Amino acid sequence: MALAGVSFRVKAGEILAVIGPNGAGKTSLLNCINGFYRPQKGAVFFEGRPITDLPPHRIARLGIARTFQNIELFTGMTTLDNLLAARHIHFRSGFLAGALYFGRAHAEEIVHRQVVEEIIDFLEIEAQRKKVVGALPYGLRKRVELGRALALEPKFLLLDEPMAGMNVEEKEDMARFILDIYEEKKIHILLIEHDMGVVMDIADRVVVLDFGQVIAQGTPEEIKHDPRVIKAYLGQAEMREN
Amino acid sequence: MAQADTLPKYLVQSYQKHGNQKVAMRKKELGIWREFTWKDSYEQVKYLALGLVGLGLQRGDKVAIIGDNDPQYYWAELAVQAAGAAAAGIFTDCVPREVKYIVEHSDSTFVFAKDQEQCDKLLAIRDQVPKVEKVIHWDPKGLGGYDEPWLLGFDQVVALGRELETARPGLFQEMVAQGKAQEVGIICYTSGTTALPKGAMVTHGNLIFGYQAATAADPRYDTDDYLSFLPLAWITEHVLGLAVHVISGMVVNFPEEPETIQTDLREIAPCSLLFSSRLWENVASTVQVRMNDSSPLKRALYRLALPIGHRAADLRFQRKEPNPFWRALHAVADLAVFRPLRDKLGLVKVRSAYTSGAALSPEVVRFFRALGVNLKQIYGSTEAIVHTLHQEGDIRMETVGRPAPGVEVRVAEDGEILVRSPGVFAGYYHDPITTAEKLEDGWFHTGDAGYLTQDGHLIYLDRVKDLLELADGARFSPQYIEGRLKFSPYIKDTIVLGGKERAFVAAIVNIDFENVGKWAENRRLPYTTFVDLSQKPEVYDLIRRDVERVNVALPAAARVRKFVLLHKEFDPDEAELTRTRKLRRAFVEERYRDLVEAMYCGLDQVIVRAEVRYRDGRTGTVETPIKVCSLD
Repeated sequence: MALAGVSFRVKAGEILAVIGPNGAGKTSLLNCINGFYRPQKGAVFFEGRPITDLPPHRIARLGIARTFQNIELFTGMTTLDNLLAARHIHFRSGFLAGALYFGRAHAEEIVHRQVVEEIIDFLEIEAQRKKVVGALPYGLRKRVELGRALALEPKFLLLDEPMAGMNVEEKEDMARFILDIYEEKKIHILLIEHDMGVVMDIADRVVVLDFGQVIAQGTPEEIKHDPRVIKAYLGQAEMREN
Repeated sequence: MAQADTLPKYLVQSYQKHGNQKVAMRKKELGIWREFTWKDSYEQVKYLALGLVGLGLQRGDKVAIIGDNDPQYYWAELAVQAAGAAAAGIFTDCVPREVKYIVEHSDSTFVFAKDQEQCDKLLAIRDQVPKVEKVIHWDPKGLGGYDEPWLLGFDQVVALGRELETARPGLFQEMVAQGKAQEVGIICYTSGTTALPKGAMVTHGNLIFGYQAATAADPRYDTDDYLSFLPLAWITEHVLGLAVHVISGMVVNFPEEPETIQTDLREIAPCSLLFSSRLWENVASTVQVRMNDSSPLKRALYRLALPIGHRAADLRFQRKEPNPFWRALHAVADLAVFRPLRDKLGLVKVRSAYTSGAALSPEVVRFFRALGVNLKQIYGSTEAIVHTLHQEGDIRMETVGRPAPGVEVRVAEDGEILVRSPGVFAGYYHDPITTAEKLEDGWFHTGDAGYLTQDGHLIYLDRVKDLLELADGARFSPQYIEGRLKFSPYIKDTIVLGGKERAFVAAIVNIDFENVGKWAENRRLPYTTFVDLSQKPEVYDLIRRDVERVNVALPAAARVRKFVLLHKEFDPDEAELTRTRKLRRAFVEERYRDLVEAMYCGLDQVIVRAEVRYRDGRTGTVETPIKVCSLD
């Protein structure tokens, strides 16, 4: 069993971090929320309505976007095209109009390009706009992945280890972007992250998972000193301050 | 109106001439080139100037500006000048301590700081710069959460200016009319190869003369396009960009981000441009590497075409006409190879491509002229703007050209180049002693060594203090040898050593990590880090071949006899290079003294303990064994 009796709330206006050792069920949890997995028991609510049984694309339409631990982009397409593809759920014109690039489709394309360009500006990936994603370095692909999630214009953003495998400088950039997204775009964020320093710096609240169960939740300060967390997640070693 | 004598007066003239009918500037935003007409530009400057006056800016004040090349930078500078004040530019990658030095030294009462990054620097030194009334930003991204009345938005100042305009109409015109040619327009902090930066006071008259000198043989038109990417903390952009813009009406385009310059350059294809010699060298070696990486067909075509281009370039230098057969051959080569290449580099429309800064190796010049790029040297300084330049039909690769019209050039007893012209500056701010040293009877002492040829061309050797002597009295120019070495795609940087107590010339070489790395990969040569790669025997062999090639063309005494490959790159963050990426010779030599001594004492290996300063200010040490290569 991947998850059992997990229950928590993401409050409006907070960055919630989910931490836990490998195999604790963090990614399974995200998969349940955005409809990749269907839990055998229990329910997921978004803005007061149950979304447990909805397929992923319906959940996306409700305003939940996510990034993946192993980047999921169209590697043969440019940054720009990847982001435009993510605008798909917002296109209203039909297949024929789109194919003929006529009337509404034309006007829509301009609107969506504008949205996408604003994201490109926001994430500072102008120089990568016309580059094929597969050829970009890892840190930048992660950023494009974040851009793809933002292109959905979500109300709620699920980030699965957005900083895994990055160097310190890239991590700092990413942390700044996450905070900017939260502060300027008013998007609530649920974040899975291994780097404790990052979690302590940017999360308002932390939920700790171990073997599919919530073993603690609270502010980063509380979590840092919770003996169960230290035992389960951090093992014998003292938790590093930084 | 009479002949204008300040840049703001020229702006007003251009506005009256073109109004809303013609584009003055473009800036790429959200992927599209947005246009600003002369009216837009004029109004921004006008209301910004009034806004600054409303906030308390006085005639004669100073305003510091730190930010990327944007329309707002041009507007801010013109607005400051329109109000009778002077602008002091700061390099965008300066750390807070360096920003503080310039803001404080220039007595700036206002600072324009582009964005969050720059505003944070100002906030960090706020207590140390009490004279600064307001910091004005033009890119509010990320600043929304700052509750800080010291910071003010560009548009807020413009709005203030609009209010003042209704209260006191005509004030802007009055202020502009009061401007005089001898007023200081910018204070340009020299990059400080030797000591703390010095603030050269450059007047409007100097800038306008600089424009005339640079364009006399090479006119600019209001149909020309220009891409503004040279750092505005440097004098050159003010002359070739700003001054040419307001005087001739040339359209100035601003890149989207500093990282996109290459793409923007290609889209704009400017009519005139200036790269530092280092950048030209980079472009040349990038072309070579990319060609090695391209398809066999393209490579073959390139190899066929290049000698044709070289021959055409050489003939042009000798002022001979190629015969019809060669002309036809060249036309084909141009169509098949050179034009597409120029297009890729954004050089298709360029009429005058200039190089300045350190001396550019003749090979690079020859390479670009073979591609059909009309590359010319321009030699100048912050203090006297333009000294000499190549004029069409009179280009000689080994010289920096003839004195520009209106410039007198003389070589002193000790070989120092002296310059006198209306472009000579008004002195260093707060530094009468250095001013007196550098300025005598209107002659500016450049500190450069060189000589005039029979037919009036100037040969530039090196900085006077940088010419080196060997134990046997032979003099040589390390910079010249460095320039030659750096033409190798595998050598990113190098310092060439010598001196009175030394018997021969030696060099410390920085490999080009990207190119050498690619070379190693192609040969299935495994490596981990820069340190590891730089110490591979195969890499030593590779570099030795390049050094030998350079040695062949040097007089026997000046040949490089020993070299080492350094375990790291020279880095401006560690003060080894200046912000304009010039080598700080004495500092580097002192820093790697162990290495230098090892070469002269005949050791074949040395362990180097280097102090590394990280970006966050911490320091650490690394230990590396470095091999010495001898070329006997």
